[in-house]
Amino acid sequence: MSWLQRLFARRRMERDLDKEIQFHVDSQVSDKVQSGISEIEARRLTRLEFGGTEKIKEDCRQSRGTMWLETLLQDVRYGVRQLRKSPGFTSIAILSLTLGIGANTAIFTLVNALLLRPLPVEKPSELFLFGDGQAQGSTSSIPEESTRLFSYPFFHDLRQKATSFSGIAAVDSSQSATKASIGGGAYQTAHVNLVSGSYFSVLGVPAFLGRTIGESDDGADGSGPVAVASYSWFQRQFNGDPSALGKTIRIQSHDYTLVGVARPGFYGYTVGQSTDLWIPLSMEKAFSRPGSDGLGSKFFQSLYLIGRLKPGVTATRASAETNVLFHQILRSYLGPQPSRQHLDELAHASVELNPGGRGVSFLRYAFSVPLKILMAIVAVVLLIACANIANMLLARGVARTREVAMRIALGASRSRIVLQLLTESLLLAFLGAVAGVALAWKASAVLLSMATPGPNPIPLNLTPDLPVLGFTLAATMITALLFGLLPAFRAAGLEFVPALKDGRGSSSSSTRGALARSLIVGQIALSVILLVVAGLFVRSLINLSNIETGFDKQNVLIFSLDSSTANLPHGTSDEIRSVQLQEQIEDRVQDIPGVKADGFAFFTFNQGGWTDQVLFQGIPRTQSNDGQVLFNITGKGYFSTMGIQLVEGRLFTAQDTQTSNKVAIINETMARRFFPNGSPIGHRFGIGETPDHPGEKEVIGVVKDAKYGSLTEDKLMAAYFPCTQNPGFYGNFAVRYVPGENQQEIISRTRRAIAEVNPNILVNNVDSLEEQVYGSIATQSLVARLSSFFGVIAVFLGCIGIYGLLSYSVARRTSEFGVRLALGARSHMLLWMILRECLLLLVLGLALGVPVALSSTRILKSQLYELSPLDPTAIAIAIAAVSVMTIAAAWLPARRATKIDPMQALRAE
Amino acid sequence: MAKSAYQNRIELVQGTLDMLVLKTLQWGEQHGYGISQAIRVSSNEVLQVETGSLYPALHRLERAGWVSAEWKKSDANQRAKFYKITMLGKKHLANDYERWGKMVATIEAIMSAKESAL
Repeated sequence: MSWLQRLFARRRMERDLDKEIQFHVDSQVSDKVQSGISEIEARRLTRLEFGGTEKIKEDCRQSRGTMWLETLLQDVRYGVRQLRKSPGFTSIAILSLTLGIGANTAIFTLVNALLLRPLPVEKPSELFLFGDGQAQGSTSSIPEESTRLFSYPFFHDLRQKATSFSGIAAVDSSQSATKASIGGGAYQTAHVNLVSGSYFSVLGVPAFLGRTIGESDDGADGSGPVAVASYSWFQRQFNGDPSALGKTIRIQSHDYTLVGVARPGFYGYTVGQSTDLWIPLSMEKAFSRPGSDGLGSKFFQSLYLIGRLKPGVTATRASAETNVLFHQILRSYLGPQPSRQHLDELAHASVELNPGGRGVSFLRYAFSVPLKILMAIVAVVLLIACANIANMLLARGVARTREVAMRIALGASRSRIVLQLLTESLLLAFLGAVAGVALAWKASAVLLSMATPGPNPIPLNLTPDLPVLGFTLAATMITALLFGLLPAFRAAGLEFVPALKDGRGSSSSSTRGALARSLIVGQIALSVILLVVAGLFVRSLINLSNIETGFDKQNVLIFSLDSSTANLPHGTSDEIRSVQLQEQIEDRVQDIPGVKADGFAFFTFNQGGWTDQVLFQGIPRTQSNDGQVLFNITGKGYFSTMGIQLVEGRLFTAQDTQTSNKVAIINETMARRFFPNGSPIGHRFGIGETPDHPGEKEVIGVVKDAKYGSLTEDKLMAAYFPCTQNPGFYGNFAVRYVPGENQQEIISRTRRAIAEVNPNILVNNVDSLEEQVYGSIATQSLVARLSSFFGVIAVFLGCIGIYGLLSYSVARRTSEFGVRLALGARSHMLLWMILRECLLLLVLGLALGVPVALSSTRILKSQLYELSPLDPTAIAIAIAAVSVMTIAAAWLPARRATKIDPMQALRAE
Repeated sequence: MAKSAYQNRIELVQGTLDMLVLKTLQWGEQHGYGISQAIRVSSNEVLQVETGSLYPALHRLERAGWVSAEWKKSDANQRAKFYKITMLGKKHLANDYERWGKMVATIEAIMSAKESAL
């Protein structure tokens, strides 16, 4: 009989078993009666000889086969009945499990999506990335350390010579959010990425429809005006209509033919940036990007290279070969007579091969430590929830002593009881897990958007996949065992004869008490650790938000403009027209009532930057001035818009034109490092280590220092140049308005003014400068908020545990308190008696938790800004919070004890 | 207590119950009570099979395919579950009996050995 049939035949077999045993009993009795014993006596003797029939039946069931499914279903049904009997316990347990498992699943979903999950490509483990992928954009300096970005000529040369790889792909490191129009329709934002002809074949991403970009598209300049769409963009734009193939897509001011759609689920090589359209690198010239020098240049390094190892070739061998070729090829780029310095730099350069199956990701870089910390925090929260449920189960175990003793007396084996109780725990855990996964699904997306604020959500697939569900399943099982095992053993292991007699389980209550107390001590210890961590993060966040930015972040809007569809002249002598366009916009917006100042800029806060060295005429290089200077290109009104104060000299004016003397404004740090004893005004410098145009720029002013890239950066040297003398359309437009002015009104009027100047210049998005500043510390803010939230939850769960324990002990000792009161004890003495118990637990918990916290917070050091991991304030607050909450939780049941009416209590006995 | 009634009887050696049950069934099909009576009688009241072991053993043998079971009318005209040894069971019994014989002989050899021989 198969187990399925057996399951259905269960009832019949149970009946048969009953009958079989009954037949035996009857036969034995009738034999005894025949030998002359009275029937009553015969029955009595038979029962005695027989022992427990339930035990025999149970053994028969077991020897018939393990029947695990049958037993399981029976246990589950019984468990559901038991849980429904106590809805209060069940709902608290499920709620805390939902929260605990949900939080773990949510954080793990992010960990999985960012740190673990491989790209949907063929054999991801064979892919290797050249460099660590932690750079984006372009550089033209000669490599002198571990290299991250590569030039197009290098890509071609390396491909020809390398033998370790079955293929090498190149992809532009920065993806452009630009404008595209389908079949002459309105322009829409599209994310476009330039890739080599080998990109799809090396990654092993097939076409869902049509074809992918191939080698033939990536030949001579402009030879491949084709585009491949991502599946999700194709669905959005064409609703999956295959006739979309062959349609013309205008990207910026160039036409491309849509030749294919990539496999669903593939969003490109950069995790957290989803590509809409891929176009061949051969179209690079037709595609305008900031800072682009053209791919033909041997030192215009802007590409990531990804290689697929040939089968059997080790990464070590591939790395050795790559480095040899790298030096050979770059050496040939330096020309026949390279300078000593360039050779020296090249000698220090190298290429590191990194596993490339997970793509590159900046989120990964920024979040990996915070995510690990959060993972640890939520694990501790789950542990506390486990302790709490274990405690409740212990209390239930005492209440269920009679039930368990009865079942054992009826012949159930201990292991059967333990299994049944564990099934109940598993049931609870699974109910919590189901709700937790649902919670996590939503929560992980919310967490991600909290960590990366901005108008466009980060495209990251956070749908629970197999690893996430596996993790949750494992967490659920472990959780159930953690909170269920001990109470189950305790419940099944007690002596059942005395338990049956008195029904209250007095013999085991003292050990239960010790166990429950140690669980509470553990909870207090863990809560105080979590609160110390939370306190440190919050205090660090406060330090961060108190950092002096050097600019006034209030009442400033940053408009991000896109001129790619306006057909402006780039790289020609006519380029000044785009500057004139900017000046017209500046003037018009200045006239809007409520606008105080406005100005364009290459960069505002936390947007990256352009850096290089400078050389002042007549000033020797010293240790202090030999470093990178951050450059910005700004309109006249930029300084007053940002509230950056002038210290010396003058700001840019209308007199600084394209043809006039080239000028620069520098910050105080730069002034101090180059001119420690005098004024820099009137001095001249050139850009570069050995400037192409020495002494090109004249310093006309010095402004106060500010923060440029991040709040935590050190003092940087910075120089500003006027837009008029560095033409190009710079997309950041800052507008300062009068405090109290209606922000929406200013935004819509500014939009209108821009459209009046040129309707083809599009506003991508509007942000406030304040949001930009807070956005730069969003991760820290999220970690601080989450750790506080979980800290509070932990303390709250601990309080429930203490409240439960003391309520129980007060209820049990009602008569004792009644006697004490009757004998003249004062109520405050009773209060103290009970509180003393709780204070002891508190002190033990703190004694355990605080040293652990003190010794473990060191690992947070890199995440704390100007704060010691042993910050006394954070520790004191944590201790105080846990103490106050613990005593408050104990106070309620203690008060109840003092309100006992002695007469009633004594009668109750 | 119930145990005192069996003072003069020998507890079954571990693992021999299956063999005794199968042997008993070789005489013909029998129900559980009949098997226990048969063992008691044929051992001259020395061996007492406890019902707590007998029934689990019967179910185990049935599951292993060494016995088959059928509901039939008993002598007392009551419905009872009759067990019958199968071909497989007979083979198993022969095996068990052989092993048993070897074990008895071995133990006997050790127990009866003269001191000098040791």
